[in-house]
Amino acid sequence: MSPDTAYTSDSLSENLIASVTDLKVYFQSKQGMVHSVDGVSFDIVDGEMMGLVGETGCGKSVTARSFMQLIQTPPGVLAGGKILFKSQKNCNKCNGSRCVACSKTGKNILDLLSLSESQIRELRGERIAMIFQDPGKALNPGLTIRTQLAEVFQEHRENDVFKKAGITNNLDGINGYLLKKYIRQELNLITKLMLKFPPFSGFRKKVDKAIDGLVTEALAETQIPNPNKIMERYPHELSGGMKQRVMIAQAIACNPDLLIADEPTTALDVTVQARVLDLIKDLQKRHQTSVLYISHDLSLVRRICDRVAVMYAGKIVETGDAEIIFNNPKHPYTQGLIKALPSMTHERGKLEAIEGMVPELINPKSGCRFASRCKQKKSNCENNDPELKVLSNKDKSHKVSCFLYE
Amino acid sequence: MSQDLKTSSVAIEGLNDSAFKVRLKRNLEIIQNVLENPTTVIGLIIVILMLLMALLAPIITEPNMPDPYQMPRDWKAARSAPLTPGHVLGTTNRGGDVYYGVVWGARTSLKLSLIVVCLTVVVGVTIGSIAGIVGGKVDEILMRVVDVFLSIPELIFALAIAAILGPSFTNIILALVVVFWVKYARIMRAQVIRIKQREYVDAARVMGDSKMQIYLKDILPNSFSPVMVQATLDMGNIVLVGATLSFIGLSEAGIAEWGVLVSEGQAGISAGRWWASTFPGLMVFLWALAFNLVGDGLRDVLDPRTETKR
Repeated sequence: MSPDTAYTSDSLSENLIASVTDLKVYFQSKQGMVHSVDGVSFDIVDGEMMGLVGETGCGKSVTARSFMQLIQTPPGVLAGGKILFKSQKNCNKCNGSRCVACSKTGKNILDLLSLSESQIRELRGERIAMIFQDPGKALNPGLTIRTQLAEVFQEHRENDVFKKAGITNNLDGINGYLLKKYIRQELNLITKLMLKFPPFSGFRKKVDKAIDGLVTEALAETQIPNPNKIMERYPHELSGGMKQRVMIAQAIACNPDLLIADEPTTALDVTVQARVLDLIKDLQKRHQTSVLYISHDLSLVRRICDRVAVMYAGKIVETGDAEIIFNNPKHPYTQGLIKALPSMTHERGKLEAIEGMVPELINPKSGCRFASRCKQKKSNCENNDPELKVLSNKDKSHKVSCFLYE
Repeated sequence: MSQDLKTSSVAIEGLNDSAFKVRLKRNLEIIQNVLENPTTVIGLIIVILMLLMALLAPIITEPNMPDPYQMPRDWKAARSAPLTPGHVLGTTNRGGDVYYGVVWGARTSLKLSLIVVCLTVVVGVTIGSIAGIVGGKVDEILMRVVDVFLSIPELIFALAIAAILGPSFTNIILALVVVFWVKYARIMRAQVIRIKQREYVDAARVMGDSKMQIYLKDILPNSFSPVMVQATLDMGNIVLVGATLSFIGLSEAGIAEWGVLVSEGQAGISAGRWWASTFPGLMVFLWALAFNLVGDGLRDVLDPRTETKR
C-alpha cells in the first residue's frame, strides 16, 4: 500500500495543525441512532492550546477519540466529516524510516478518518498522543513503569536509543540486525540466546542502559521525584498524581505534534490538579506542542487554554479566543454556563442554573438543540438549524451558532 | 482495606531501597499472603511431598526394568499383607508390589496431569482468546461448541471417548484433553472481553502498538490468573477422572497407576485383603484434595474480588 493514498487534496491554512470539519459520529442503539457528534467543526492552531468544553455526554470524548480512530465500529458509525491533520512540522525527528508522513510527496495533509489501521498506527504515539481521564485505569497494572515507558522508545525512538548508547557505527551486519530486533522485541529463541553471550551481550547492556536513561529523562521532565526509583514500581504503588505524570511522560516522550488530553485532571484532587495543569501548560510551551484539552470545567479551561470551543448536545455552539468567550459570551448556553460559575472577585449573589434537561440525542429533530432550555428563544429556533457563523468582521475566529445574531 | 494499607506502607518505606530489594519484598509479600491460610499450607505440603515422591521414584524404589511404569510381578509373594519384608505395603493377588505402585503411580499421575493441563491450557486459551478478540459470529460459533461440550457430564464424556479410542494410556490423555479444554476457553473468553475494554488497552493503541503486541503485553498477562487457578484445580481433577478411567480398565493393563491398582485389589477386599485398594485410593484422594486446597488458596490471593477473611 502506498502512503500517497492517505493524503487528501484538501488544504489547511498555514497556522493550523488540525481542522475538524462537519464531523458526524453516530452510535447504533436499540432505540435508534444516537447522534453523539453531529456536525462539529473547529480548528486547532499550531502551538496553541485548544479547549473543548461541554457537559457530560455532549460528545467531547467521542470527538477526541475520533482523532485516533478509537471509536469502535459498530456500534459507532462515522456518518461524515473530515479531520485534517498536518502531519509534519519538521521532519528531522523521525529520520524517515518508519513514518508515513515523511516518505516523499509535497503534500502532508492527512485525513485522519480515512487512514487505514496500519497508517493511523504510525501516527499514534509518534505524531498524536493522548492522555486519558483516569490514570489509574490507563496504565497496565501488570508491568512496571519502566517497561511501559520503555515501550514508547522501543517503538518510536530506535535511533535515539542507539545514539544514546553510543553505538552508531556498528549498526551494519549481524550486530545491528540483532539489536534492532531486540529493541523492537521481535526476537525468537535463537536470537535471544545469541544476545545473551559476548560479543553481543555487551551491546545489549548498552542498549538497556540507554533505554533506562531515556526513561529517567522522560520521567524527570514531568517533575517526578526520584525517577530512578519510580521506574521500578508498579502502577498500584503510585499515587494518582504520580500516575498521571507517568501518563504525561509517556505521551510526550515522542514529542508529538498534537497532544489530546481527555479530561486529564478529572480523577485528581484539586491541589494535584493545579500542579498537573501547570505541568501540561509548561510542557506545551517548551515543546511547542499543540494541545486539544477536553474538560467540563470552564474555569480550568480559562486558566490554560488559548482558544475555546463550547459544545452542547453534539454541536459546537460557540468558539473563539478564550478571553473573548469568557468576557463576552454570545450564545445563551455559554452565557448560562458562565453565570453558573462561582466568582471570588466580586459579589454576584445567587448562582444561576440553566433550567431544563439536555435533549434526547436519539434521532433528534431539526432545530436548535438548546431551544427547549433557551430563555431568548425565537419563533424559528424550534424548527431551523442555526449555523456556526462569524460574528463580526473584526474577529474572524469568534463564531456563534445562534439566530439571535443573524 | 488492610491490603491497601500494607502495600502503601511498603511503597513509602521502600523509597530508599534498591530496585532488587523492592522486587524481593513484593514477591515475599505474595508468598506471605499465600502462606497465611493454614489449609493452603497443608495442601502445599501434601503437593510438595507428592511431587518429591514422583520425582524421586527411581531412588526410593528399584525401577522395574525395562519399563519402570509396568508393575513388577512377584507371583510367589502374591497376596502378602503389609509389612512383609520386601513388600512394605503388601502385594496384590497378582503379585504386584503395592508400595511400588503407589510411588510410580505418583509419577504416572504427575505425567498425566501435567501433559493434560498443558495441552488443555494451550488449546483453551487460544480458542478463548480468538473468541474474545474477534467476537461476533466467530465468538458465537465457538461458544456454542463449548456449550455442547459442557452439556455432557465430564466423566461420562471422557469415558465415552476413551472407550471409542480403545484402552491405552495415551488415549486417556487424549480423552481428558477433549473434555477439559472447554473450561479454559470459557474463562479466557470472559477475561479477554473484560480486559480488552480497559483503558490501558486504548492507551496502548494510542501509543501505536499493534494488535499482537497489545494481546501479548496487555491482554494475555492480565487475564491469566483465573486460568492459573483453574489449572491448579484441574491438576487434581484430571488425576481423579484419569484414575476412574483406568479403574474401569481403559488404560493398559498392568501399568503402575493408582486406578489400575485399585481395580486390581478390589476383588480381595471381601476376602479381607484391604491394602491393595486402600493405599492407592488414598493417594488419589490426597492428590485431588491437595491440589484443590492450593487452587483455592491461589484464588484467594490472585482474585481481588474474593474477600480475604482475617
